[in-house]
Amino acid sequence: MRAERVQRPGLCPWLPVFTGRILVTVAGVIGLGSGTTSGREPIGTVDFDREIRPLLADNCFQCHGPDERARKSKLRLDRREGVLGQVTPGRPGVSTLLERIASPDPGHRMPPPGTGRALTPGQVTRIRAWISQGARWTRHWSLRPIRRATVPAAPPGVGGRSRNAIDHFVQARLKRHGLVASEPSGRARLVRRVTLALTGLPPQPGLVAVAVADSGADWYERLVDRLLSSPRFGEHLARHWLDLARYADTDGYQDDEPRVMWRWRDWVVDTINDNMPFDRFTVEQLAGDLLARARPEQVLATGFNRNNRTNGEGGSIAEEFRVEYIIDRLDTLSTTWMGLTLACARCHDHKYDPLSQRDFYRLFAFFNNIPEKGTYRRNAPPLVKVPTSVVAGELADLSRQIAALANSVKARQALEVRRTELLKAVPSTMVLQEGPRRDTFILVRGRYDRHGEKVTAGVPESLPEMDAGLPRNRLGLARWLVSDRHPLTARVAVNRIWQQLFGRGLVTTPEDFGSQGARPSHPALLDWLASEFRDRGWDVKRLLRLIVTSHTFRQSSKVRAVDLKLDPANRWLARAPRLRLSAETIRDQALAASGMIVEQLGGPSVKPHQPAGLWKEIAGGASGAYKNGYQADRGAGLYRRSLYTFWRRTIPPPMMATFDAPSREACSVRRGRTNTPLQALALMNDTLFVEAARRLADRVAAGDDVSDRIDSAFAHVLGRRPTAMERRLLMASYLRSLARFSKRPGLGKELLAAGGARLHDPQGVAARASLVTTCHVILNLDEVVTRE
Amino acid sequence: MSEFAGGLWQEKISRRLFLGRSSLGVGTGVGTAAIATLLGEEAVGQQGGQRGRRPRARRVIYLCQSGAPSQLDLFDHKPGLVARFGQPLPDSIRKGQRLTTMTSGQKQFPVAPSIFRFRQHGHSGAMISELLPFTARMADELCLVRSMHTEAINHDPAITLLQTGSQQAGRPSFGAWLSYGLGSENRNLPSFVALTSWSLKGGQPLYDRLWGSGFLPTRHQGVRFRAVGDPVLFLSNPHGIASGLRRELLDDVARLNRLKLDSFGDPEIETRMAQYELAFRMQTSVPELVDFSDEPRHVLDLYGPDVARRGSYAPNCLLARRLSERGVRFIQLFHRGWDQHSNLPRDIRELCRATDQPSAGLLRDLKQRGLLDDTLVIWAGEFGRTVYSQGELTSTSYGRDHHPRCFSVWMAGGGVRAGTTYGATADFSYNVAENGVHVHDLNATLLYCLGIDHRRLTFKYQGRHHRLTDVHGRVVEPLLA
Repeated sequence: MRAERVQRPGLCPWLPVFTGRILVTVAGVIGLGSGTTSGREPIGTVDFDREIRPLLADNCFQCHGPDERARKSKLRLDRREGVLGQVTPGRPGVSTLLERIASPDPGHRMPPPGTGRALTPGQVTRIRAWISQGARWTRHWSLRPIRRATVPAAPPGVGGRSRNAIDHFVQARLKRHGLVASEPSGRARLVRRVTLALTGLPPQPGLVAVAVADSGADWYERLVDRLLSSPRFGEHLARHWLDLARYADTDGYQDDEPRVMWRWRDWVVDTINDNMPFDRFTVEQLAGDLLARARPEQVLATGFNRNNRTNGEGGSIAEEFRVEYIIDRLDTLSTTWMGLTLACARCHDHKYDPLSQRDFYRLFAFFNNIPEKGTYRRNAPPLVKVPTSVVAGELADLSRQIAALANSVKARQALEVRRTELLKAVPSTMVLQEGPRRDTFILVRGRYDRHGEKVTAGVPESLPEMDAGLPRNRLGLARWLVSDRHPLTARVAVNRIWQQLFGRGLVTTPEDFGSQGARPSHPALLDWLASEFRDRGWDVKRLLRLIVTSHTFRQSSKVRAVDLKLDPANRWLARAPRLRLSAETIRDQALAASGMIVEQLGGPSVKPHQPAGLWKEIAGGASGAYKNGYQADRGAGLYRRSLYTFWRRTIPPPMMATFDAPSREACSVRRGRTNTPLQALALMNDTLFVEAARRLADRVAAGDDVSDRIDSAFAHVLGRRPTAMERRLLMASYLRSLARFSKRPGLGKELLAAGGARLHDPQGVAARASLVTTCHVILNLDEVVTRE
Repeated sequence: MSEFAGGLWQEKISRRLFLGRSSLGVGTGVGTAAIATLLGEEAVGQQGGQRGRRPRARRVIYLCQSGAPSQLDLFDHKPGLVARFGQPLPDSIRKGQRLTTMTSGQKQFPVAPSIFRFRQHGHSGAMISELLPFTARMADELCLVRSMHTEAINHDPAITLLQTGSQQAGRPSFGAWLSYGLGSENRNLPSFVALTSWSLKGGQPLYDRLWGSGFLPTRHQGVRFRAVGDPVLFLSNPHGIASGLRRELLDDVARLNRLKLDSFGDPEIETRMAQYELAFRMQTSVPELVDFSDEPRHVLDLYGPDVARRGSYAPNCLLARRLSERGVRFIQLFHRGWDQHSNLPRDIRELCRATDQPSAGLLRDLKQRGLLDDTLVIWAGEFGRTVYSQGELTSTSYGRDHHPRCFSVWMAGGGVRAGTTYGATADFSYNVAENGVHVHDLNATLLYCLGIDHRRLTFKYQGRHHRLTDVHGRVVEPLLA
């Protein structure tokens, strides 16, 4: 997360210096800039893109940037000609730019004091140095073509701490910052880390034991391959994609009525499990319906762009919302594939990036022909019915049988009834379709009813042109996104994968690769990974495998004193990160460790328990779709992975929201990882975790003695045995509970009744209740909710 | 509390540097509210430099009337309309402005004057309807704005705009901005609490986003206190775990976490340990908070007979006072049921019965305790209602459709000018005639009362410095004390 800046209005003369120092401190610590702006170091080579453009963007672009209407004096400092017209290379003394920003006369100085912006003396010095050094102009980094960087040689002396090219890049940076990579992580911890990272579930104790005992040199690589081929992998990775796709089970406005889009969600899980290349994954979701001889699944894929919220509120004006949906789709498209903040250009030219309002509505035109109503609830056309593979198989069988029974009318009838039933039960999914062409206009101030100039479909001018051979429709747009020349798609995709594995991207603003976003911490590594990904078939599993087999991923996450001092935020990756697990993983882990989990791939969304009355209190639809309020499922639906939990956008599942899941109202690329008392309350008291503790106790109750049972429970959750000290503390906890429950056995019975079936325990109520509280203590440990 | 709380770390560093203070968000610490830092020199200068820089309000109680109350029947007196009963609304008034599709197809737009009597109240002479007798008695505390306007014409976008500054979902709510900007004054409670109630079968739905944190860290989101079950989700211990055992188990968790901290050195572990302690304290402080048994009869009576009906508006008002006493920064009440498209006279009576006495009682209670000076109270809906009748107009009944072009709100307490009526609508209460106040202007003004320059409370997301007021809003000077 980047530092916010309080915008500075005109301040007393001494204040800019002071403010400037604060900014530099922040830049130095958090890494907004290169850390060389303070003047403490001798002036080195000044890179225009890294140092100067951000200064111009922050201070000048408002009036001298891409926004044509806001532009003063016809001067554009966001373009090469504009900047170079204001400087004389090598001669700062006669350069207009410097003369204006350094002028002692407030009436002449830029930016004008009234704008609330000001350059610090240090910043002016850098600009002077850049001019002295020849004023070399370069494009914004993310818009330059992706070039495969040369892999640096491994720094000497790193020994076993370098496993592949990633480590070479990372260690080259570490060396510059006086840091060294950590030792390899312990095997059991590493197994848990990689299993959580790739499947979102904890490793089973048996798996850890096998891995720890494996004497092969490639034990880890084989483990990774096994995890990547598990169906659980697709479920886990899909969850990240669903955040981007703003997937939910309701329409999101007002009464927030249910919709049925799970067939699309299952398409995502399946294609990720099948390792569909990312370019195809892209094309099918944006334009599967336009492919020649499109298969039903390819049309289903376009459900991606029907996951936006839709408004059925009485009295709504249809065109207003039809336009909103398209704008939502553009926002999602530009964030997901290009890391561009295109939405800024809805009302006016972008203030900072080369995206005009015209660019915005030319992209709008690609999505303007979908034959969709503006106001609707639930599922509305265009729709498609695509049976699941199981149902499709049965249907094919039936058809064969029916054909074979050409002579027996009676036998055929029964089969035909069955076939009709099956077909009827296949849910309709909302998808895209190309309808009659609508004219597209620039919308003045972004308002749906203020038509400006007419435009045709096209891509932003600052990005590579579409190949002449591509159709000017969504299919062409999708193919353009994944073309070799596109500078953003591959960078943005690998950055997001990196973020999933390390908790933060190489670019820490995955939603903004523009001039206001963060710069990559490891630019050469980012480009190397992007070219590796693009040039080797957009193979997602291959990319993941490459990253998780690096030493950078495999090293220990212990925080050494020197790291805390030199790199507290772990920007340079001298250690593996310790990351709080996502909401879904925390819940799924409890389900898995306790043995309650029902591992069934796909299907309609399910409703596990949630506190009673939540919907009735505030949400809409109480007289219609939700007249019975929230009705939790019975049986398997309570124990499915959280990916399948019914998601109501205006009131998301409370435990998920508490652990930072987004509401799914809009595209979201990055979740927070907060640490709050409400999370503590959920882990302490949510029925789910109490039930998980009880079931975990059931699972280990057959152990030889208490110590053995505790060891086993610990291993189910954390994949390792407790240390002697940990065991002693858990044992003491058990004995204290035992003393209490022995005195008041009634309490023990109450605790054991939590969640589901009661049991008659030969070990006695007090002993079993104490084992439950001990399991519950384990489930509440920091290490448990952390990927360590 | 740890200095480097992992994910929290950057936000803390940057905010501390810029605001020159330490505050950790939802109940995670005590913020020393050096809020003057956010009030720019320039902002003071723009106000003529006459005003003290010290903010008047330290906290907010927002009485949000969801569904949009009719300004015509409560605050915007238009006696001239009686003579126009049933006449079509002149096109010169409507000027072709858009209507919702609930009435755009109506053949006629008959003028429906209010059937309720108005008279002046207090020294200020504020004109208030007979529907609000208790509020009327507090007239000299009110700063009444009759020239509010908004852009949205449907509930969802309109209430989202009112509470988050944008019609589209995804932005932080007002309370989240305050929690982020000012932190908490209470160690044992969240800094932002939402309370909900309803009349007449529920009314318009509410959405978590109205107290959500948008792109701000989620710990700034409002915590909704509930009237059924646990007041705060997951507050009560499970059956069979008594408080004494809970304490012991938490100590056991802490011991094991301490071991981990010693061997791994990650400061985030220390933060988690602190949060468990705070959670434990909440298990005591929240039940005390919602237990009214220590309130004397005469105080309960201020809020009217409904105060004993858990989950209704009256006890929420009393709870708001108790929260404000404990330093909760932003208390957001939502009362649903004002969306009166038909049978307005009948239904608005019920809504006023349920809300008038408690709202006024809250003001009086705050005032008696000296809390009104530094508590800012706002009463507002998301838009107004049409002067023309939706559906049949009779001498005793009518309905009113959504109307974004003008509506009335009031404020009271810290920082606002008491006993004022500001702005006016033209004859039909259809268009603003003078001193229009947009939702962004209202929010800018409210922030100003809290010592915050709305242009300086920003958060960078998707390449922009976002604000509650987007790129709009101006402080409305005449509303300020």
